[in-house]
Amino acid sequence: MTFEVPKVSYTGKIREIPLGREGNTVIVGGESCYPFHLFEGEMPNPPKIAMEVYDSEPEDWPDTALEPFADVIKEPAAWARKCVDTYGAEMIALQLASTDPNDKDISADEAAKITKEVSDAVDVPMIVWGCSNVEKDTDVLKAVCEACEGRNLIIGPVVEGNYRAIGATAIGYKHTVVASTPIDINLAKQLNILLGNLNVPDEKIIIDPSTGALGYGLEYCYSVMERIRMAALIQEDERLQFPIISNLAREVWKTKEVKVPESEAPLLGDIKKRGILIEALTAQCVLLAGADILVMRHPEAISLVKESIKDLMTEK
Amino acid sequence: MSKIICSAAIRGAHKIVGMAEEKYEEALKKWGPDQEIGFPNTTYYLPIIYGMLGIPVETLGDVRQILDKCKELVPPPVSDKVWLPYLAPALDAGMATYFAEEIIEAILYLEQPDFYTKAEDPLPDNIWLGAADDVIMRKRGVEFVDGTAPGFAAILGAAPSIEIAAKIAIELQEKNLYVFMCGDYEGKTMSEQLIEAGVQIGWPTRLVSFGPSYRAAVFAIGFATRVAMSFGGIKPGDFKGNLHYNKDRVFAFAMPLGTVSDEWYANAAGAINWGFPTIADTPIPEILPTGVCTYEHVVSNVPHDKIVARAIEVRGLKVSIVKVDIPMSYGPAFEGERIRKDDLYFECGGGRTLGVELTVSKDMSEVEDGKVEMVGPDLDQVKEGDKLPFAMLIEVAGRKMQSDFEPILERQIHHLVNYVQGIMHIGQRSIMWIRVGKAAVEKGFLLKHLGTVMHAKYHQDFGGIVDKVQVKIYTDEEKVKEVLEQAKRVYKERDDRVEGMTDETEDTYYSCTLCQSFAPSHVCIITPERVGMCGAYNWLDCKASFEINPTGPNQPIIKGECTEPVLGQWKGITDFVNKASRQKVEQVCAYSLMNFPMTACGCFECIATILPMCNGIMVVNRDFRGMTPCGMKFTTLAGMVGGGNQTPGFLGVSKHYICSSKFLLAEGGLKRVVWLPKMLKEEIAERMKPICEEMGIPNFSDMIADETIGTTEEEILPFLEEKGHPALTMDPLM
Repeated sequence: MTFEVPKVSYTGKIREIPLGREGNTVIVGGESCYPFHLFEGEMPNPPKIAMEVYDSEPEDWPDTALEPFADVIKEPAAWARKCVDTYGAEMIALQLASTDPNDKDISADEAAKITKEVSDAVDVPMIVWGCSNVEKDTDVLKAVCEACEGRNLIIGPVVEGNYRAIGATAIGYKHTVVASTPIDINLAKQLNILLGNLNVPDEKIIIDPSTGALGYGLEYCYSVMERIRMAALIQEDERLQFPIISNLAREVWKTKEVKVPESEAPLLGDIKKRGILIEALTAQCVLLAGADILVMRHPEAISLVKESIKDLMTEK
Repeated sequence: MSKIICSAAIRGAHKIVGMAEEKYEEALKKWGPDQEIGFPNTTYYLPIIYGMLGIPVETLGDVRQILDKCKELVPPPVSDKVWLPYLAPALDAGMATYFAEEIIEAILYLEQPDFYTKAEDPLPDNIWLGAADDVIMRKRGVEFVDGTAPGFAAILGAAPSIEIAAKIAIELQEKNLYVFMCGDYEGKTMSEQLIEAGVQIGWPTRLVSFGPSYRAAVFAIGFATRVAMSFGGIKPGDFKGNLHYNKDRVFAFAMPLGTVSDEWYANAAGAINWGFPTIADTPIPEILPTGVCTYEHVVSNVPHDKIVARAIEVRGLKVSIVKVDIPMSYGPAFEGERIRKDDLYFECGGGRTLGVELTVSKDMSEVEDGKVEMVGPDLDQVKEGDKLPFAMLIEVAGRKMQSDFEPILERQIHHLVNYVQGIMHIGQRSIMWIRVGKAAVEKGFLLKHLGTVMHAKYHQDFGGIVDKVQVKIYTDEEKVKEVLEQAKRVYKERDDRVEGMTDETEDTYYSCTLCQSFAPSHVCIITPERVGMCGAYNWLDCKASFEINPTGPNQPIIKGECTEPVLGQWKGITDFVNKASRQKVEQVCAYSLMNFPMTACGCFECIATILPMCNGIMVVNRDFRGMTPCGMKFTTLAGMVGGGNQTPGFLGVSKHYICSSKFLLAEGGLKRVVWLPKMLKEEIAERMKPICEEMGIPNFSDMIADETIGTTEEEILPFLEEKGHPALTMDPLM
């Protein structure tokens, strides 16, 4: 008797969402099976990695993360170009961290100007991420939408407190939104319903169910992503059939473990290797949970994960 | 629909379409059919025509087919012999009017390119802005969609005086509405009146001077039509989608100030197509039934000081209040604050004085939103240590308000008042008790401010069901007694209503999936006689919760055919649970412990389980920490029940459900209960009495064992035998 692999039967499919401006789009989503279960269904668009670019020079990064970008760290546009030209980034994720009122608090117009410059510098799809302050993000992301009309940016985080303002603006200027919710499947679903009620088209929604770094609540985030995928694929929950983005790099690179020098914690091993591996492992986990877009930082971590995606996508 | 209005609208449409025809012929002679026409900087051509018909008018030559369409739409003038019905022809006439007016305005742009400023602000020598270009439309349209500007008032004509004009404009601005102005009345225009009154007009102040003719109304309607295409994803030519979008999302209305001419009627009839009602200051006929618009279509003879409030009510616009305007801090952080004797300045209720609080619903016309009435001395007129009788009567009105929601709103008073820093609130109804601390009085807090709090919070938290709130606060003894009498009547009616409500009387039950975040397959079914196991949500709460948040966790379920009356199974419920649990729970019995019991999340107040030796059931509440006769403590039992699993023999229940006549009906009901913790038995004693009497065992409560009798089955069995507990002789449980 031969062994037959038991197969899950799927009733749903993740939406395919085209990102970026016309002529240079990248499509994400489209899965009709659990992540990499290629023996059960299809993954027409392998997960994509977006490389992070910051709107101003980061102050708290460990050397490991700074080193590859040392020559461009003060210039967001040059930084983005380096990601594309040198590291072959498929997407750029511009983090507007300095808009944070508790940080540099740069104005919405200034942030929009930087975004426009970066967007002019590269032609790959671009994610623009605010500072997660509900009010400030509303101002900033509205200005960004207006300044970059027609570029089909991926704008986030859009949360319950500002989905109307940002959602409406994104519709008007034709951008895609990231519906962001705090690790809860019901809230994720509800925000998607609300965005739908606002008339944000379904092909303009990506979801962010929140991500923690390895060792910092990742397992909880993993479960929620996994459950969202289950609901979407086998439980006919069409308000959850959207591609998932995981903004993981900033979570990883702020942890103690990537910063403590080996001299202080010899058991943790080589600091450089350690940071890269923690980022790669975090990414690997969310990939298995169902993420379609990974926001990552270190080029070496990225190439490890790319290799793994390639490997997983090869049917054996 | 009023015959007078329809006849006038149709007459007006004939005149306007005739005028368009004339203008077109003239223009055609002068410029020829290839001459380009249109509004400035827009990709929507003549937007109403483009939105409704999907036809892009680019040249004069394109106008012909539109005029032909107008002629098709405009019905013949109404004859004296025809009586009914007029709605459809009048709406068509209104639609044709807008097409014709767009043509006339487009030709005006051709003939006099500088007639309108084509800017956001008026110029010193020209105040007429004309059609908004796409840049303005997109920037301002966002505000319509995200709710920062819920809609607009299209004002035709002029107010009787510049003071009234300014007052109306400011009131509309305060409601965040745009004011689109056009037309004149006896040579005066609202826009000019505002300038005269020193009010700054232009897009930035939301007071938009579109044009001096009534025809400029097309700029307002065209704006709304473009918003639907730009933000609603509505395709050009999808007139149905466009009109629905506007009806549901753009809170606009027409406000003619001055005698309504045939031409104005034609424009007003046109606006009804978009769901925009007319609110007039003159005594024209009214069209009150709901139909095309959300509520009334034409409301007239409204005094100028009430016209804005009335318009908002007729259009169904929700009032949004951002801040609770009182001299104290306000928020959940102050909920648990105590006011001790040493800090006490003033108190009322709580057995010290008469005290009562009551929320009732009234007719829309009987409630003036935001009014707070205070009768009797307030805190600035009392001495430290004083006590006074107190009554707070909150009267609410809303299009979706139901008297069933009154107790839910009233129950909020407790925490909403407690959120005020320096105030302590305890109890409810006529046993309420308020203490005001010295610090609050020093900061200028008055009892009147409680009205401000309740008005703001009811709007914020219950905007879905409440449109208007007025509050009466009395410290005058006579008045307090009056409210107390009223309250007693209302309380009785409410209690009777809840008593009288059974699972059989209602066709709709509610789901609660609030807890699915941690128990993914769990679905609570809440029926009138089975409160949610957390004790926090009863059937009425769910009903209100659904009205307030239609996409939320409480969804109505049509229960459908009852398949098992004793077990508590209905077709609709089974289907819903199956789907909402993602096929994990195939069926559920609302009244059984042993057969497909309801799953539980983890928030249950109590757990019911079987005691096989006693042939009975025990119930233990969360607060009871000791051992129970089933050999497990509450915490251990909780592990068996929670997580959305169906475990026959173990069930999460609320305290309230224990005294329901549907309590474990399948197992024989309350009669089966052989053990309860003493504290729980005491807590539900009052409510148990009538059930025991109904069972014919008035002293049943004494037959139930508790931890003082024993905490093992062996210990309690002799007690049950001695008392002759009915469970011992009932059918075997297993």
